[in-house]
Amino acid sequence: MNDEEKFSALVIGALMAVFALIGLMLASHALDVEMSIFGWSLAAFALVFLFGLIRRHFDQEAAAKNEEVRRHG
Amino acid sequence: MAESAGYVAASAIRYNDDVVKKFVIATMFWGIVGMAVGVFIAAELAWPSLNFWPPYLNFGRIRPVHTSAVIFAFGGSALLGTSFHVVQRTCRARLFGGTALANFIFWGYQFFIVMAALSYVLGFSKSREYAEPEWHLDVWLVIVWVAYLIAFTGTVLRRTEPHIYVANWFYLSFIITIAMLVIVNNLAIPVSIYAAKSYSVFSGAQDALVQWWYGHNAVGFFLTVPFLGMMYYFIPKAANRPIYSYRLSIVHFWSLIFIYIWAGPHHLHWTALPDWTQTVGEAFSVMLWMPSWGGMINGLMTLSGAWDKLRTDPGLRFSVTSVGFYGMATFEGPVMSVRTVNALSHYTDWGIGHVHSGSLGWVAMISFGAIYYLVPNLWGRSGLYSHRLAAWHYWISTLGIVLYISAMWVAGIMEGLMWRAYDTQGFLQYSFIESINAVHPLFIIRWLGGVFFLAGILIMAYNLIMTVRSPRTAARATDISGLPLPAVGD
Amino acid sequence: MPTKIEKDSVTGHETTGHEWDGIRELNTPLPKWWVYVYIATVIWGIGMFVLYPAIPLGSWVTPGILGYSSRADAIAGVKEMAALHTTQMQEIGQKSFAEIEKNHDLMEVALTAGRITFANNCQPCHGPNGEGRVGYPALDTDVWRWGGSIEAIQQTITDGIRSNDPDARNSQMPNFGGDKLLTPDQINQVADYVISLYGKAKPNAATDAGAKLFADNCAPCHGAKGEGSREVGAPPLASHVHLYGDSREVVVAQITHPRMGVMPNWNKRLSPAMIKAVALYVHSLGGGE
Repeated sequence: MNDEEKFSALVIGALMAVFALIGLMLASHALDVEMSIFGWSLAAFALVFLFGLIRRHFDQEAAAKNEEVRRHG
Repeated sequence: MAESAGYVAASAIRYNDDVVKKFVIATMFWGIVGMAVGVFIAAELAWPSLNFWPPYLNFGRIRPVHTSAVIFAFGGSALLGTSFHVVQRTCRARLFGGTALANFIFWGYQFFIVMAALSYVLGFSKSREYAEPEWHLDVWLVIVWVAYLIAFTGTVLRRTEPHIYVANWFYLSFIITIAMLVIVNNLAIPVSIYAAKSYSVFSGAQDALVQWWYGHNAVGFFLTVPFLGMMYYFIPKAANRPIYSYRLSIVHFWSLIFIYIWAGPHHLHWTALPDWTQTVGEAFSVMLWMPSWGGMINGLMTLSGAWDKLRTDPGLRFSVTSVGFYGMATFEGPVMSVRTVNALSHYTDWGIGHVHSGSLGWVAMISFGAIYYLVPNLWGRSGLYSHRLAAWHYWISTLGIVLYISAMWVAGIMEGLMWRAYDTQGFLQYSFIESINAVHPLFIIRWLGGVFFLAGILIMAYNLIMTVRSPRTAARATDISGLPLPAVGD
Repeated sequence: MPTKIEKDSVTGHETTGHEWDGIRELNTPLPKWWVYVYIATVIWGIGMFVLYPAIPLGSWVTPGILGYSSRADAIAGVKEMAALHTTQMQEIGQKSFAEIEKNHDLMEVALTAGRITFANNCQPCHGPNGEGRVGYPALDTDVWRWGGSIEAIQQTITDGIRSNDPDARNSQMPNFGGDKLLTPDQINQVADYVISLYGKAKPNAATDAGAKLFADNCAPCHGAKGEGSREVGAPPLASHVHLYGDSREVVVAQITHPRMGVMPNWNKRLSPAMIKAVALYVHSLGGGE
């Protein structure tokens, strides 16, 4: 994983945390059904995306380790 | 390819093909959804009793679901996907911003589409054509769009080719102009930041003008310019021929983007819009004819020396036919923008026919061509599963388009003539409802045309799924005739 | 990669010497016809700027040589069409209905004007041939709530029903269920009696109770025999034409929470002469008195 990938995941991850919070805020104060749906959906979207980022990170770490083992025995 | 075997460096770049694959799948999915909804609302128009279901399926709510699903979901996914494919390869650089950014652009855009469709069905709409999503969704779209701009321009900036390929100019002008259009047209003040309802900052004739400045340039910079970018990559690639004229590509690109932006007022002929604004709209629309045709010439003439490929390459057949429809629609447009012609065509189904000759004939077919090219390449298959099915798709969708647009021409001209007919005593000869009764059979033909087109994309989806899955098309790495090997993705 | 200009064997044109992912470009000159047509459209565009209003300069706009105005154009068109029937419409406005009906030519103009005006204004509610629909009275039957003479129709069109016009035809059916004027049982009894008025039920001992209630509560407006009253626009009930339907449920619903339709006052949108023409047309639909 190069620096660009790491930086990208970090920035997008931080943004997702912010989006999730905004989503919860919108949902909790919502004045109409649409804003309520949007708030909850935004929070869920950001959360699932964050989990995806985390999973991807560990998958790649494991893959790198396997590669290391394969090369050097 | 033989010509570029000179430099091996290309194979060292790991392109992000994963995001392109996702967009290709999304394009097919939304194409089917959007066209199915289109068939349903065409049925609602032909048989109005279909409207009297729960309000969620009312024409007024479902129509923006259709337009957004085909323009922004189907067309947009095709554009974002192909732009990522094209920019990486013609710049010989991996997509800027890393996998996380690319995935955010993909999922963020899909999230926008789903939320927008849901909001229309629930009855939330700004009532601006092609800009129906309420303010909170617009804000989200702008965030995703900025991410897209960063990924695209970042890739262009770190290219390893000395020059920027023409397709990328088209894609970039699309990204920048759409950002400007969306932001200005959607300027609105929300009732509360916790409420979905908002009110436009413009009012009256100015509001209408801003909306159609946006609306017409959505046609220009969403449905024309970036699809030309698609054409500039996939036609020479599939035909394996050089672009016909570099000079023409420069001249028509700059003329197109300069002139298009002024043409919007022709949507408001014969309204409260001041006469001078209508004159500007008409004059620039007529001047738009040749800049539009420049793209058609470059698309068609690129095939000189390779016309025989139309017999063997079904994807190329779609691309070339789409350029033909493009030429037809971009001639029809300037004609309809002339005030006297517009007096007949305005508010009639001729407009609907015109839009669909562009959207079915040009936008959808050039996308089909690109996808038929992309799928075997991206998934590393030896070729398409079935050329026969692709031929069926081609003919059934062409027939669908012909049924659709000829029905709408007849319906539109009939409506225009009936609405303006006066009897010898100076009274209107027909009522509105009589014109509706008169076009009823044509509405049924239009619906049938839609059914044909939908059947075509379903055949295509099956063909593509089998291309990826069937052992018949298993990759034989050395045997991909005329197609470059897919780059190593992740 | 270095610039490498090659000659294309098919067209004989040279390439620009660049290559992207295997794609090259020819340096073909612009097609002549394309350039000429482009210039022609630009000249057309400039011509439009000269001939028509085009360039805004502050609050003033260049008017163009033709001095064209789409507003003036539209007004002229409307005037031209109006001129074809101005005299006849004036006559229709001045003469009585009896006089118009005797004058064949005038009657033809009135019915033509009435038909198209009806089609563009009244059809959405009353149906293409005035056959009506649920909640909107049929105009082609001889059952009238407020009167079916030409004059009565003229007044209904002019001032409307329950519109905000000061001369509107107004009446209100009491809210028997909502205001608890009758109990649900009583409403059912009345309904049984009402449907017996048009043969949906046989009058028998069960409807006697309803008949008594009807006489006390409904007869003042709808008449002792359910024949209706045009004074207050009370629909005849002993009839086969019904505004909201003839089933027992509909009758119960109407007594419980009455629905009362609104018709706009057309005096704000149509000239008195045109209203007369529409009245003549409606009267001719088949139910006129």
